[in-house]
Parts: sequence; structure tokens; C-alpha cells
Amino acid sequence: MNLATASYLARRAAQKERVRTLYRRALKDTLNWAVHRHLFYHDADALREKFEANRNVEDIELIDRMIAAGEASYNKWRHPDPYIVPWAPGGTKFCRNPTPPPGIEIIHDYGREDNY
Amino acid sequence: MASALRSSILRHIRVPISGTLNLNGSRLWTFRSMSSHGDDHLDKQEVVDRVLDVVKSFPKVDPSKVTPDVHFQKDLGLDSLDTVEIVMAIEEEFKLEIPDKEADKIDSCPLAIEYIYNHPMSS
Repeated sequence: MNLATASYLARRAAQKERVRTLYRRALKDTLNWAVHRHLFYHDADALREKFEANRNVEDIELIDRMIAAGEASYNKWRHPDPYIVPWAPGGTKFCRNPTPPPGIEIIHDYGREDNY
Repeated sequence: MASALRSSILRHIRVPISGTLNLNGSRLWTFRSMSSHGDDHLDKQEVVDRVLDVVKSFPKVDPSKVTPDVHFQKDLGLDSLDTVEIVMAIEEEFKLEIPDKEADKIDSCPLAIEYIYNHPMSS
């Protein structure tokens, strides 16, 4: 009996983590689509309402199906050109100026070029 | 007269320029001195102040209860989805990109402050 409840709780915890990750990605995607802040707040509230409507569902199989449906709709609505922070993978500055290998340095010899 | 003396002296003495920096840390600092992101290492108090500002301006939070060691769900009575929103607001404030696994673990103010302070690219 304890094993069953432990596995049930583990499954519920995994589902909660999936829901949190899904909410996070969906919120970022909403920000990608709705760049103007007042539109974003409106869309973020609508997204939150969708999550809140299913807050009290208890049936574990139903929750699994809902999460799968949510992830499918997230994949359908993903923005083709999301905003990624420049230094992160996928951003514009990623790997732009890698650090030089350790033996190389710049020799500062201002004023000594005339070879005294 | 003095200027002729001066130039003759300068012709024979080489005044050394300030030499190449020999410490590894300061050498790193010189060749990234014009980079526009990720070099201004924030100090702890500034990080704490900005994180608290972000948390206080969240509409579901009571500003008087926010302290640097507050837990979002236990002390402020927030939801797990609210925690996700706060983490996203912190990402936007410090121009960070937190991976999903790490963001799931950030649950309270001290964790958030420590993560941001130890992140090399926060600005």
C-alpha cells in the first residue's frame, strides 16, 4: 500500500513539474508573440485562466492527457523567431568572441616601434 | 635652453611605459574592457535590492512581507504558477536565460539571489 501511494505521489510530482515547465514555456512564447506589454498582460492573464480552470482535477490519467494536449498546442503555437538573450545558445552574441588560447597576448609597445 | 636640455636627455633615457599586466585577472579585464554585456559583476546588495523590487511589484504579493529570506510559497502564500511568473520576471530584470531545470528549483528569495549572484552573465 505504501509502495502504491509512493509511486502515485511520485507520478503526481512529475506531473506538477511538467505543468510548471509547460506554463513557463507558454508564458515565454506569449511574450514572443505579444511584444507590446499591455497585450502581453492580457494574453498572460488568459493563459493563467486556462491553467486555473483545470486546477482541481484529481484523475491521474486525465491529467496526463491534458498535459499532453497542452504540450501539443504549445508546439503548434511556438514562435518561429523567439527572443533569446544574446549570449545564450541561439542568441546573436553566442560564440561571437571566444576567448583566445592562453599563449597569445597583445604586445603593447607604443613609442618603441622606432627600434631604439 | 631648458627645452634643448630636456630633449637631449630624453634622447638618451628611455622612460618606460607602464608594463604589460602580469596577473591573469587583470589581463582578462583589459581585453574585454569594451564589452557591453556580462562584465559588470554586480555586488550582493544591489542584487538583493533589485530582486526585492521585482518581488514587491508582483500584484499578488504584500510588499511589507518581503524580506531577503522569504519563501514564495510558504511565507508569501503564492502558487507554483506564481513562482514561475516571478522567476520569469527575474530573468527579464537581470537579462539572464535560466534553463528549465534550474528555474524549477528556484523557490525562494535566498535561492534566487544566490543563483543570480553566482551567474557570470547577470547584468
